Amino acid sequence: MEVITNTQDNVTTAQLIGRLDTPASQEISGDFESLIKLADGTVILDCSQLEYISSSGLRLFLSLRKAAASKGGKVIVKAINNDIRSVFMMTGFLNLFEIQN
Amino acid sequence: MSTNRHLDPHCEAILQEYKENLPRLKTVEAQVLDSLKRTLSDIGLLVAAIESRIKSYDSLAGKLELKGHKYQSLADLTDIIGLRIITFYVDDVDKVASAVERLFTIDWENSIDKRKIHETDSFGYLSLHYICSIPDFPYRFEIQMRTLLQHAWANMNHDTGYKSGVEIPKRYMRNMSRLAGMLELVDDEFSKIRNELTDYRRRVQALVRSGNLDEVPIDGDSFRSYLELNPFDQLNKRIAAINQAEIQDVSLMPYLAVFRGLGLNTLGDIVSMIKNYSEGAYQIACYQIGLTDLDIISSSIGPQDLCIAFILKNGGGKAGIKYMFDLLNGVSESNATMADFLMEQSKDLPFMNTDN
Repeated sequence: MEVITNTQDNVTTAQLIGRLDTPASQEISGDFESLIKLADGTVILDCSQLEYISSSGLRLFLSLRKAAASKGGKVIVKAINNDIRSVFMMTGFLNLFEIQN
Repeated sequence: MSTNRHLDPHCEAILQEYKENLPRLKTVEAQVLDSLKRTLSDIGLLVAAIESRIKSYDSLAGKLELKGHKYQSLADLTDIIGLRIITFYVDDVDKVASAVERLFTIDWENSIDKRKIHETDSFGYLSLHYICSIPDFPYRFEIQMRTLLQHAWANMNHDTGYKSGVEIPKRYMRNMSRLAGMLELVDDEFSKIRNELTDYRRRVQALVRSGNLDEVPIDGDSFRSYLELNPFDQLNKRIAAINQAEIQDVSLMPYLAVFRGLGLNTLGDIVSMIKNYSEGAYQIACYQIGLTDLDIISSSIGPQDLCIAFILKNGGGKAGIKYMFDLLNGVSESNATMADFLMEQSKDLPFMNTDN
């Protein structure tokens, strides 16, 4: 699992590459801590190369959303595949994020 | 800071006192302003504006040239520091006044309620002026309190030459009085609307608390009050038990649009939906997360699956489900993909094959 982050003008794009299962969630928790520090701006989670998300991955997304809500920022989830979209729907997470295609 | 005005020596002394104390005046102005802002925020009173100013050197010199004989020292002037609180509602002027009374010592002899000086048949400047002081500071300051509309009238009146000393044509005076009367009526109407809304909210809350939900139309206020009863908790807990999942509490207010979009009119209709479609919602959840190891759900899963069960059972089909997701997530073709996914699953759900 790899996270490539790029910040420009208060907009941070984090490209998530691979499978976000439980071990991968632990592996990239530091990357999400860094994103939380930037959550007063806009954070775009580019999921175009994210193949899978587990509950642990959802928790990471949720912690970022909470931080953004408290800091007045915004999280955009971009380009999720249909399997991940189904996971968001089945867990009631679909309307918690701004999802862009 | 210079003037070509011809001032008496005691007026020059007052100007000198002003110059020497200007930094202190500025400090107190900032303290008073901050204290007012904090207090109004603490009591939850939203106002249109809070302004402050220190009388300029030239303005003070002008005043002393005209009325210098009235003042022996700077402390005799009551408006060297001036603040103005502009409220949205006429009722709020008295609330602000009460807060000001708690914060500062009021010089009642010199304070004036211009709202009370008009005869029954005259209309004009309406504002409440308090002359205030604080301990260990020798100068008084003025706080004006009025509504946004009173402020607009006062500014327009001032702008059109009221203080120029030139006699104002009677027709102009009459027109300004007519406007003052009209704005007074508008201010009262705004207050009346707010009070009626407050009464409505109280009535709705009482009906929700008493359980008379069939009588309560679904709107933003009633739905918010209803959510305080945690109506979806039982269903959410049942769904969470499928995978021993934790429930993340989120706002369910987005479902207001969905319930209304599905044609539900009263909170009683939502109660009926929970009663009649909870089993269907549970079956949907079992079919979905029961086949995964997902152990986190949001509290919106209950209302979401209820609405899906309601739509499926009432023949809303793919279009109905897409409509629901469009209302929740914004219009998108990906919502059609979700609807397809759910339509495919629904064939196997037991509740779809029963009469109830």
